[in-house]
Amino acid sequence: MNSRQTDFEREIAQLLVSSLNLALDADSIDPETPLFREGLGLDSIDMLEIALAISQHYGIQLRSDDPDNAVIFASLRSLAAAIGARRT
Amino acid sequence: MAEAWFEKRERGSPWGLRVARVLALRLGRRTTRILLWPITAYFFWTLPEGRAGLRCYYEALDGRRPTRARVFRHYLTFARTILDRVYLLAQHHDAPPYEIRGFEAVASYLDQGQGVILLGAHLGSFEAARAAAFSHPALKIQVIMHTGVSRQLNETLTVLHPEARDSIVPLGGPASLLRVREFLAHGGLVGLMGDRTITGEATYPADFLGPTAHFPLGPLRLAAVLRAPVFFFTALYRASADGACRYELVFEFLCGPAPDAKARDEWMRQLGARYAQTLGAFCRVAPDNWFNFYDFWQVPDNDPSRPGAGRDPDYGGGPRGQSSMDGADATEGHSAHGES
Repeated sequence: MNSRQTDFEREIAQLLVSSLNLALDADSIDPETPLFREGLGLDSIDMLEIALAISQHYGIQLRSDDPDNAVIFASLRSLAAAIGARRT
Repeated sequence: MAEAWFEKRERGSPWGLRVARVLALRLGRRTTRILLWPITAYFFWTLPEGRAGLRCYYEALDGRRPTRARVFRHYLTFARTILDRVYLLAQHHDAPPYEIRGFEAVASYLDQGQGVILLGAHLGSFEAARAAAFSHPALKIQVIMHTGVSRQLNETLTVLHPEARDSIVPLGGPASLLRVREFLAHGGLVGLMGDRTITGEATYPADFLGPTAHFPLGPLRLAAVLRAPVFFFTALYRASADGACRYELVFEFLCGPAPDAKARDEWMRQLGARYAQTLGAFCRVAPDNWFNFYDFWQVPDNDPSRPGAGRDPDYGGGPRGQSSMDGADATEGHSAHGES
């Protein structure tokens, strides 16, 4: 398991840090760590903020009825993968 | 525990509620209201914690211990507002009238396609407003709530008006908040409660009727992220001496849309203080409309040691407890009797 950030993951990590106003270094976020609860300690309100920031930056609408939401928001890695796949 | 309302079981059985619904519609409001006296007396005697909670409330409000009669009348008002939900939702001819105050300011946002957040409380009957929307489409409010709480009561009542179910956004995971956002983006009205906290939830302190109370931070954070203007909202039950009564739907401006993330803490501080102040002011207008039957001023035992992102512990979140916006998963099968 690779827990080093790719360039794109770092970009997303920076977006998380700035949109949530986190007192964290974007580089220090392990891409495999869960974003919510026991991981980074984010909650569903933060998730909403992230979804909005992503739609602003990448023009991707994350929708409430997407059955993959739980997977998409599992970790930095899965989030970056989902954005990458939809961006094309 | 301050959060006991959340863990408490809803009083009354589904069967009993169904009978009550049928009786209420058959017998009519006048007769059923008489039956409310013995029913209220039963709950008054069997729920001493509720009486103790109301004593705390009246002590904050008046600076002295309330009389037993006053606390009883308070229970009676609660029972009456629940009964009225039956008539309001069924659009029965016995449904009490309502009047609307302060909606012009809300409407001016909605007319521009800007959704509005209504920050309510367990004061009066939010239900009266939902019912009012049936004849007043501009008033249609999507209510975000823990559906685990008062589920029995809500299911009994939605039979009366199935559309009422559609206007509730259940909390539970990220998807429901995205739905709220989409609804606001289409110029909708979103209602959420800003007064009750759940165990372990992050709170903020605010002066409320004098002493400091702890309010849930989740609703403020949600309002900040949604970037919509916030109004205080309540539907007060007002009775006059001749026995006639009506509901007063009141909208009062609290804050404009939240600024960027950096200036957001200050915005939330203002919103929190104004909300508590406005809530207190309406408690003084209609004291017996307060439907939190527990010691509201008790310090919550939220756990500050949870892992977090190290932000401003007061407002930015960071090491914070579970948010009330995280859903009702833990509450399945539990309900509170004090839901209004």
